[in-house]
Amino acid sequence: MTETNMAVRSRGVVSETRHLLFSVMPGAVWIIVFLVLPSIYLMAVAFMTNGPYGQPQMPLSLESFRQLAGFGFLGWSPGNLYTLLRSLWQTLLSTVLVVIVAYPIAYYITTCREKWRPIMLLAVVVPSWTNQVIRTFGWMNLLAPGTPLSDAAQALGLIAPNMGLYPSNFAVTLGLVYNFLPFMVLPLYAAFEKLDTAQVQAAQDLYAAPVRAFWHAVFPQTLPGLLAGTVLVAIPAFGMYVIPELLGGGKGMMLGNLVANQFAGSANWPLGAAGAILMLIATFVGLYAMRRIGKRLGGGEEVVI
Amino acid sequence: MTNPMPAPEVEYSDPLDDIRERDEAMPREASSIELKGLRKQFGKDTVALDGVDLTIEAGEFFTLLGPSGCGKTTLLRILAGLEDPDGGKLLIGGKDVTDIPPHRRSVNTVFQSYALFPHLSVRDNLAFGLRMRGESAVERQRKVAEVADFIQLGSLVERRVDQLSGGQRQRIALARALVCEPNVLLLDEPLSALDAGLRGQLQVELQRIQKRLGMTFVFVTHDQDEAMVMSDRIAVLDSGIIQQVGTPSEVYEHPVNAFVARFMGHDNLFAIQRSADDWVDTDLGRLQLDPAQQRVEQQGWLLIRPETLELGIEVPPGYNRLEGTVRERLYRGSRIEYRLDINGATLMAVASNLGQRLHAVGDRVTVSVCPEDLVRVAA
Amino acid sequence: MKKRTLQRGLTAFWWVTITFLYLPLLVVMLFSFNASNSAANFTGFSLRWYERLMGNEQIISAFWNSLVLAIVSSVVALAIGCLIGYGMYRHRHRKLGWLIVLIYLPIVLPDIVFGISEMAFFVSIHRHTGLLQPGLGTMIIAHVTFQIPFVALIVYSRLVGLDATLFEAAKDLYATPFKRAVHFLIPTLKPALISAFFLSFTLSVDDFVISFFTAGPESATLPIYIWGAIKKGVSPEINAIATLMIGAVAIAAVLSLMFNRQGRH
Repeated sequence: MTETNMAVRSRGVVSETRHLLFSVMPGAVWIIVFLVLPSIYLMAVAFMTNGPYGQPQMPLSLESFRQLAGFGFLGWSPGNLYTLLRSLWQTLLSTVLVVIVAYPIAYYITTCREKWRPIMLLAVVVPSWTNQVIRTFGWMNLLAPGTPLSDAAQALGLIAPNMGLYPSNFAVTLGLVYNFLPFMVLPLYAAFEKLDTAQVQAAQDLYAAPVRAFWHAVFPQTLPGLLAGTVLVAIPAFGMYVIPELLGGGKGMMLGNLVANQFAGSANWPLGAAGAILMLIATFVGLYAMRRIGKRLGGGEEVVI
Repeated sequence: MTNPMPAPEVEYSDPLDDIRERDEAMPREASSIELKGLRKQFGKDTVALDGVDLTIEAGEFFTLLGPSGCGKTTLLRILAGLEDPDGGKLLIGGKDVTDIPPHRRSVNTVFQSYALFPHLSVRDNLAFGLRMRGESAVERQRKVAEVADFIQLGSLVERRVDQLSGGQRQRIALARALVCEPNVLLLDEPLSALDAGLRGQLQVELQRIQKRLGMTFVFVTHDQDEAMVMSDRIAVLDSGIIQQVGTPSEVYEHPVNAFVARFMGHDNLFAIQRSADDWVDTDLGRLQLDPAQQRVEQQGWLLIRPETLELGIEVPPGYNRLEGTVRERLYRGSRIEYRLDINGATLMAVASNLGQRLHAVGDRVTVSVCPEDLVRVAA
Repeated sequence: MKKRTLQRGLTAFWWVTITFLYLPLLVVMLFSFNASNSAANFTGFSLRWYERLMGNEQIISAFWNSLVLAIVSSVVALAIGCLIGYGMYRHRHRKLGWLIVLIYLPIVLPDIVFGISEMAFFVSIHRHTGLLQPGLGTMIIAHVTFQIPFVALIVYSRLVGLDATLFEAAKDLYATPFKRAVHFLIPTLKPALISAFFLSFTLSVDDFVISFFTAGPESATLPIYIWGAIKKGVSPEINAIATLMIGAVAIAAVLSLMFNRQGRH
């Protein structure tokens, strides 16, 4: 290797690295400064003490986590625990309901003519392009007292006379299902489209009964899509703020509302930050779990979106 | 072929580039190429080129031939400047261009995938190099019209690239390189994506164009027939080393080793068990050789070209005589191929179809082998 | 026989689902033309709520805030995201795990955590330095942060879809690095860039939570105004603004899709 070639080579490596830095640095620095640092700061706030004006201050303590668990000046109260359990329950319930609706829809689209499929997918996705506040407001209009839906519910004796269907936990679940349905349909559709029909036919030959054929040949092949959809639905549902705030009322509060309230009305930043840490842990545990399961299914890459 | 890494590229803009490059890239006559000890390695273990020394004459149609992974594409990319060698020197037209970036080399490439710009029309594709070199609009128009005429695709210049057939794309890619009047034209398996008929036609056309322009062509292929049809000289590469350089007939008739012989399509190779100046022992028995032929040291191979064998005639004096049985006969139209069994060894023979009586499977035949047609090759 | 029953059932289910998806939006649009201010009964067609919008200064200023926020943040995100997308492509053979994590972070972080950490951060920086006062500026910063990944991924996937030898052909044909960018890279990426711009625009207009927490008193956007109006008590004017926003977003999204598809051909 001659000296000039050595020089060329090392110059090449240096300029390549410089190129990488120049192209990637502005964005990387932006995300680090305006998202990573703020998140770290928020985590630090969780370990500070709440000041008299709701501002975090020294000394460091675990007080905020105690408060999050429900311990206050007046002893233990179950309020926060209920909120947490409600968040988990709403997430679980709405995810299951979304699957129940999305699964047949995704399958139905694949059975339609090829030229209609993109239009049908678009039809499912278009509503989610509208602002979440507006969509939720639409449901407020639909579920308010005096609307046909509320009247029908009253006639069936499901709700008290002159009441609306919102605010209620039911309205929150409905809002969540409405909001996240497209996120489940898309990955499930992708899974159905790739379905190996030869396997299905073989299964029909072997098992004869359609239910068993479905269970042995179709369902396993759609699992990666189902998993991807679950990530896309469950994680944001757990942190949802707008829907429970508008449709849930005081008794429909979820973790997102608990966190947000600490930064708005009753200021208690450390408590809110502690709640945010809980949400982050749930997010990353959820992502990690799905990834692990996804890898075992062999569809790892798709699951991580 | 062996390019797992993207070409490193120097990505800063020098205001002097435009002025310098105009000077560098002005059309000149055909250039010779000299490679001195070129080395290239990918990662830790993959040696693509292992000290290549080679001289390509100005105006020559030169082919780099070898199986995939032999280093021929890497060599071509180093000539183009798309890859930096780890060691060694590259001279084009007597000038050291090892450190010159591709956009300042008067070398153009016809890529295997053609690499026509999808966002430009055929005309703009053809004019791209001239435009980048800063030639005037009038010049550009004249040259593009000329080259489009030259390759007989003048009617296509307004089309979009995706409206062209494979053969048309191939020619446009060639024209886009030719219009820049480079000193050296590099062709990276440009015909591999075409069907057999079109391929043969373009082989002839490429050769004709090269002779007419007198440009230096460096052609990369893994197809030995294509290499023989088109080239003035061929370099056969394997594992990053040049095995043999020579004219098509030299490489085909006198391969230096078993790899080259096999790669050139020879089947009749027999391990030499014992040998003297004028004879060898193989599975076929003892055969007389032309004593003028160079002796290969130690273990070597004996090459018998099937078309030199004569079947079922009176054995001329001085010829080797072999007795065997026809095991298989393949009728190929212009020629007939026989698979013969001789003392348990398999020998292929080819006879031109001159209307003679064909030998049937199971026939005993006599084979005459001229000592001068027997070639000893190294292992 | 059985199969046909299943197919019919599915068709019926499809239409029920589509109704479910569009009903809330249709109700909002319908009642924006209601003559009375009832949210339950449609009493007649009128444009009075749209007329009222024109006279409401808060709404007009919220509209301009939304527009400025969406355009400025999209332009900034386009520049930064495009560079990252190109960097990711050029160096895709290197180990860039840290970069991938960084790029996915804004996507996976729950909106509420995203919003409050930025708010807490901006407020503290402002308290100590006087910089980054909550307002349109902080909102732009926050929006750019969540738009960057989408731009980067669109640009990256467009580049990965290209024949890599095109870059080499440009070099081979005497293009200097600068000319390669102007005559090859930018024209080739144009559809992807336009698509990324419209997507960023849509994301910005769609966002409420992050805007809500990073906004200042003077920088309410339309979603924030609507939120406030809903909290104060439902007013039929909201239906009218909402209808306009549904229309605007639908147009931007369709444009984004069109350019994205064009780029793939």
